[in-house]
Amino acid sequence: MEIIWEPFVSVLGLTVVFSPAVLFALLCGVSLVGAPLSERTIARSIQLAVSVGFVAALGLLLSMLATGLHELSLELGDWVAIPDQHFHFHLKFVFDRLSVPFVILVYGLCGIVGAFTTRYLHREPGFGRFFVLYSVFLMGMVFSSLAGTIEALFFGWELVGLSSALLVGYFHERANPVRNGQRVWSVYRIADAAFLVAAILVHHLTGSGDFSVLMGDGLWPAGSVALSEKHALLVGLLLLAAAAGKSALVPFSGWLPRAMEGPTPSSAVFYGALSVHLGVFLLLRVGGLIERSIVLMVVVSALGLVTAVYAMLAGRVQSDIKSALAFASLTQVGIIVFEIGVGLRFLPLVHIIGHACLRTLQLLRAPTLLHDFHWMENAVGGHLTSEISVWHRWIPKWTRLWLYRFSLERGFFDELLDEYVVRPVIRLFRWSNRMEERWTRWLSMESTSSKPPRPASESSLEDYAK
Amino acid sequence: MKFSAESTDPSSEVSRNVGDAHLAQLRETIEHAAHYLPSQGPITVFVHHNNLHSFEHLPFEQGVVEGGRLYGCNAFLPEERYRQKLARGRIRREDLEAVLSVELSGDDEKSVGALCSQAELRLALLEVPLRSGTRAELSWLVSGTNALRSFANEVNSETRSQIVEQTRHWVMRDLKTQESGSSLIQKDVLDEALSEFDLSDAEIWAEGKWEELTIYLLWKIVRTRVGGCTWDRSERTSPPKVRHRDVLLKATGDDSDLLINDTLVRFWSAYLDQGFANWAFSEREKGPFLRFLELASCERSSPTLFSKCVAAEAKRLLDDRVSAEQAIEESLHILGVDESEEESFIIETLLAFRGWAGMVWQMETNAPWEPHPAPKGALVQYLAVRLLLERVALRIVVDRNLDSSLPLDLLREAIDEGPESKPEFSADQMAFAIFELAQHRGWGPERMAQLRRSDFESLIGGIRRFDSLARRKVYHLAFERKYRNETLDAVLHHAQRLRGQGAKKQKKRKLASYQVVCCIDEREESFRRHLEEVDPESETFGVAGFFGVAMYYRGVEEAHFRPLCPVNITPQHYIVEDPSYSVQHSESLRVGLRRRLGKATHRAHRGNRTFMGGILSGLLGAIAVFPLVARILFPRSTAQFRRFFGRMVKTPATELRLEQSDCNAGRSEERHGYSVEEMAQIVEGGLRAIGLTQSEQFTSLVVICGHGSASLNNPQEAAHDCGACGGGRGGPNARAFSQMANDPRVRTILASQGIPVPAESLFVGVYHNTCDDSMTWYDLERIPRSHRTVFERVRDAIDEARARSAHERCRRFHSADLEISVLDALRHVEGRAEDLSQPRPEYGHCTNALCFVGRRSWSRGLFLDRRAFLTSYDPTQDDEASSILERLLQAVIPVCAGINLEYYFSYVDPTGYGCGTKLPHNITSLLGVMDGAASDLRPGLPWQMVELHEPVRLLFVIETSPSAIERIISENEAIARLVNGNWVQLAIFDADALKILRYVDGKFVTYDPETSGIPLVRSSVDWYRGWRDHLGFASIGEQFVPTGSEG
Repeated sequence: MEIIWEPFVSVLGLTVVFSPAVLFALLCGVSLVGAPLSERTIARSIQLAVSVGFVAALGLLLSMLATGLHELSLELGDWVAIPDQHFHFHLKFVFDRLSVPFVILVYGLCGIVGAFTTRYLHREPGFGRFFVLYSVFLMGMVFSSLAGTIEALFFGWELVGLSSALLVGYFHERANPVRNGQRVWSVYRIADAAFLVAAILVHHLTGSGDFSVLMGDGLWPAGSVALSEKHALLVGLLLLAAAAGKSALVPFSGWLPRAMEGPTPSSAVFYGALSVHLGVFLLLRVGGLIERSIVLMVVVSALGLVTAVYAMLAGRVQSDIKSALAFASLTQVGIIVFEIGVGLRFLPLVHIIGHACLRTLQLLRAPTLLHDFHWMENAVGGHLTSEISVWHRWIPKWTRLWLYRFSLERGFFDELLDEYVVRPVIRLFRWSNRMEERWTRWLSMESTSSKPPRPASESSLEDYAK
Repeated sequence: MKFSAESTDPSSEVSRNVGDAHLAQLRETIEHAAHYLPSQGPITVFVHHNNLHSFEHLPFEQGVVEGGRLYGCNAFLPEERYRQKLARGRIRREDLEAVLSVELSGDDEKSVGALCSQAELRLALLEVPLRSGTRAELSWLVSGTNALRSFANEVNSETRSQIVEQTRHWVMRDLKTQESGSSLIQKDVLDEALSEFDLSDAEIWAEGKWEELTIYLLWKIVRTRVGGCTWDRSERTSPPKVRHRDVLLKATGDDSDLLINDTLVRFWSAYLDQGFANWAFSEREKGPFLRFLELASCERSSPTLFSKCVAAEAKRLLDDRVSAEQAIEESLHILGVDESEEESFIIETLLAFRGWAGMVWQMETNAPWEPHPAPKGALVQYLAVRLLLERVALRIVVDRNLDSSLPLDLLREAIDEGPESKPEFSADQMAFAIFELAQHRGWGPERMAQLRRSDFESLIGGIRRFDSLARRKVYHLAFERKYRNETLDAVLHHAQRLRGQGAKKQKKRKLASYQVVCCIDEREESFRRHLEEVDPESETFGVAGFFGVAMYYRGVEEAHFRPLCPVNITPQHYIVEDPSYSVQHSESLRVGLRRRLGKATHRAHRGNRTFMGGILSGLLGAIAVFPLVARILFPRSTAQFRRFFGRMVKTPATELRLEQSDCNAGRSEERHGYSVEEMAQIVEGGLRAIGLTQSEQFTSLVVICGHGSASLNNPQEAAHDCGACGGGRGGPNARAFSQMANDPRVRTILASQGIPVPAESLFVGVYHNTCDDSMTWYDLERIPRSHRTVFERVRDAIDEARARSAHERCRRFHSADLEISVLDALRHVEGRAEDLSQPRPEYGHCTNALCFVGRRSWSRGLFLDRRAFLTSYDPTQDDEASSILERLLQAVIPVCAGINLEYYFSYVDPTGYGCGTKLPHNITSLLGVMDGAASDLRPGLPWQMVELHEPVRLLFVIETSPSAIERIISENEAIARLVNGNWVQLAIFDADALKILRYVDGKFVTYDPETSGIPLVRSSVDWYRGWRDHLGFASIGEQFVPTGSEG
């Protein structure tokens, strides 16, 4: 039995992992050789790659169900190995009860959004660029959902971050998308730094980045963590910081509504559905680690709860559809984090899948809001009124004012980060720069500041004609 | 941080009076400035406006330039776009010549420096793309190419060899032999140039070497000569910035608006929100300024530096009970804005976020039907809030970058003092331009060397005067001229052809079997043409699509009344659609079901974004996959499925409560229903307008066809609806008109007014959805058995015509194959209307360019490519004073010009006048769209709606006499402004004499056709198939084409 199944399943697994990579290679390759594809060809190749991956993932699920196989790992060996430094970049993909549903979700939503976008972006100058980024995103999502080692997860995570930030800045001829794209990128950098340190720590503590070593041999979600409580807390906090950046938990929440700058479908699949759940997925993947430390559990669930309450408040006052949906997403992400914190495993997974599907649909039809409101008003037969909730009557007036303002300004998180983190850091670096300049000048014995020679102002045009 | 508040002495009565007067004046200034704001109101009621309506008192050519300067937008297309059109033959040389000769009127023969005439110089500058640019670009060009040593690529070989030959002769004769001839140039320049070449073996040089020498000499001479000339070198610069933020941004690179934009957008979108947010804005009635102060003064929730400073200021203003006007005055004082520049400063400040400011103004003045209109004075309060935030932000930015002791009122002077290098047109740039021009024109080095200094200076002056803006204007006029002449030619030739054919078949001519009255909308042009092709016995008319029925209308499944008439009319009548009497008893059931469904949907809509509701919907969210997949992959089938279930709650049969009766007579200003006399008046007006007054003209069936458009995921949906219904759907108007015209009492009155409508004529209303080309018939149960045969014939013909019209539309959609069949084309447009992922459900008024006012008899069978508004008008039935025409034009000219000009501007500057691409749009406050997460509100048309447009001013061709139109222009101010200001083009057509007069600068000029004929094809599809781009004119029709051997 196993002899027959084993290669078949592995082939399916490889197809799932590499069909986005093939797509990426195709879309990028033709751009590199300067022969851009037609819209139709791009649409076909997206369709093909996604449906092949989707069908393979479904087939994998069915065959795993049929054979009772609960876990399958694909070893692709060490891609970089420096034995002296005890460093290796180990690529391994795991198909288990967490990753298979997640990867099916990724393929499903990306497929739908891909089909949507080929029509939505028709005749758009950036059509090809969008789909190159889309393929990077898809590849990153598939890699990180299937990752069996922390370094493989990091690799996928980076691809997702890069494509997300570039898609926020998709309309780069305007200032706002670029500014907001940069903000997303900067927050991701903080998350990545935390992740990287965590990955190195894990390697240092366990000698490898393999989740099966870290979490013990048990199948997900079971498993015993091979770290001491203190180590688990340390690694866990770092991973939590990484997840907080990626999933826009407090205090990084400000970037999520700002990310709604790209074309509507990219907002839908990225910030409504998939990449906002990636941080949560990480926490789910290392769930055993969180359970190892009570403190960590408390911190995780508290952060989830705070985020959920904050996002609910901010979401209630938003008067534009995309911000409202962003905060609605964030509320659920916070709740999912809370669920993970209190030790639930399958519920958050179901929650992620359901929530991602719902938000994708809602964001894709966000431009039809006026139509919907019109319909509802007509059905109800009058203007729509919002019932004032019981909470309102309990809260004294000045607190209500305070809360409204707090929510309207989105808790000032962005502004506070700018004022108390970004500016001081920039000042520090500028100061360091000046110090370094001075130091090098002193070293090279230069007396005064020498400016680079300016080109003579009245050079003749002929001087250039050489 | 200090905020120097103006110290006022309350005891001084005089100063208070002066102060009050100033406050009133401030209010006035702000209201005046408001006219420069975009005039688009809530996006659900989309009315097309001229974006530059506040510049209509100027002529078009001047208005677009000044408007463009104010808004920072293009006046015309970029130059290279016109060049492409020139290369493709869309602009011809003769068009340019004609425009130039008018432009220079008279002095075109005045020569430029003995080289050529002004007109020739300008023509050369238009035809030849001179490579020019800033100094840096030029140096890059020169270093990257061999520009100073070889001819420019575009110079043709004839000119090349001519110049080289002349130069060779000159060099051999005068220079090599050191006998400097008549050259006016210093010898050392030539010597220096020649020193690089060894002339000793010049006789045996290859052609290439001569070319190199020629070009190098040319450059040297031109550069030297230009260096010796004096001319005005200053570049055309934008007027100095009045806003502190602009000055500061330029000086420091730090944008103070970044600090305030978020706060402004968040506050105003919440304040103007019409019911989207779950937590509604409370105590709106206090006014935005007070509410802003209350919110902003909340110190506990002001953690950042900016919010703390704002809170302190807000608290002070709140405690001192400062009004919005006083706050503005104080801010102006702190910013050092004195009275002389008050107005321009206020305009600039309002324009900084013109979408939001405009919406505040519209909500204040023009949107009483919305649930939360803005109170009076909202714009003043907007400005007060904005200026308050602005000065706090400026203070912070100044402290951060400059000197914290610098007061804001001296800021602009303090920064302006710095040496500012004004952009300058350098000698190199000018020399390079002339150098290239000389190559193209064949002016060799010898010729340039012999020019006098004054000649050179006049050449330079000629080039300088004809700058990019002037060139674009000429291109644009030529661009319009070509299409205009083609149109006028087509009208003349087609009318002539019809006459020839009419004479032949005079006796065979049959009366029409039925008549269809459509809206004048240019989208109905293809429908009408196809209908006439499908059934030659049909007759069509065009009339403004509200059919004279100006009403507030509420459908049976609708919650609110909405006006269905042009925006300049305020309806006096309220019309309700009721369920039919036979289904009334079961209606309450359906109403209840609908209400429950609506409430449940609303609850779900809000609920899934809350905490607990969100958890539930999140867990069950996977179900969303089904609608998600279905709607995106199979939009058309999903729509059919939804409609099937929608039928359960849909009222099966309805009727209009059209007639006034005692029981429904409401308050005096809200009159429900029309009296019989009023109905007769409406029907009479409609019939007279289209010239349908004799009893033998009427056929047994007259179809009245209103139109509108429905699409999904399209915030600008209403922009596709009927313009004559004020951006509403004209179906109910068509229905009401038919019902009125069928009323025997109305017919009795009509007969007494001289319009005897035969008893057997029946009017039927229908609604045309221009997006999916569907037709919805009204009141079919009222068609008597005697008329059913003819009705079925009409319905079949109309079904065929709408399918063919859909087919013609599909040639414009790249996602539909050019070889698509008629049936598939209909399916395609049906799918588009239901497709969530379709940003172009239809192209709307795109490509509109013409408006014909006159009898259909001369335009019938002319292929107009869906570009012409067609208004029916019969001059033979009009009175002496042309009062019917006057009434028609009072509506048609402003409405059509508004549509045309909005398309013009949205195309010419898609992000400045239009609202950019639709893809990142974000609906906010249920009022409008923003770009992405937070931005200014974006009024105007999206690029996806206008991308196929040709920006030409609307050309009216009116069948009337010069005296009639002159009188109408002189007595109607709105028409005069548009026509005399050249915001539209006008020509009048005499169908009997086959003569066209163009209205040019207040005078009529006879138009002589340029061509001798237009193509002749059997059917529309023969003409348009296989082609996506704009199409020219053609005569369509079997009757013209000789059949087989007979001919």
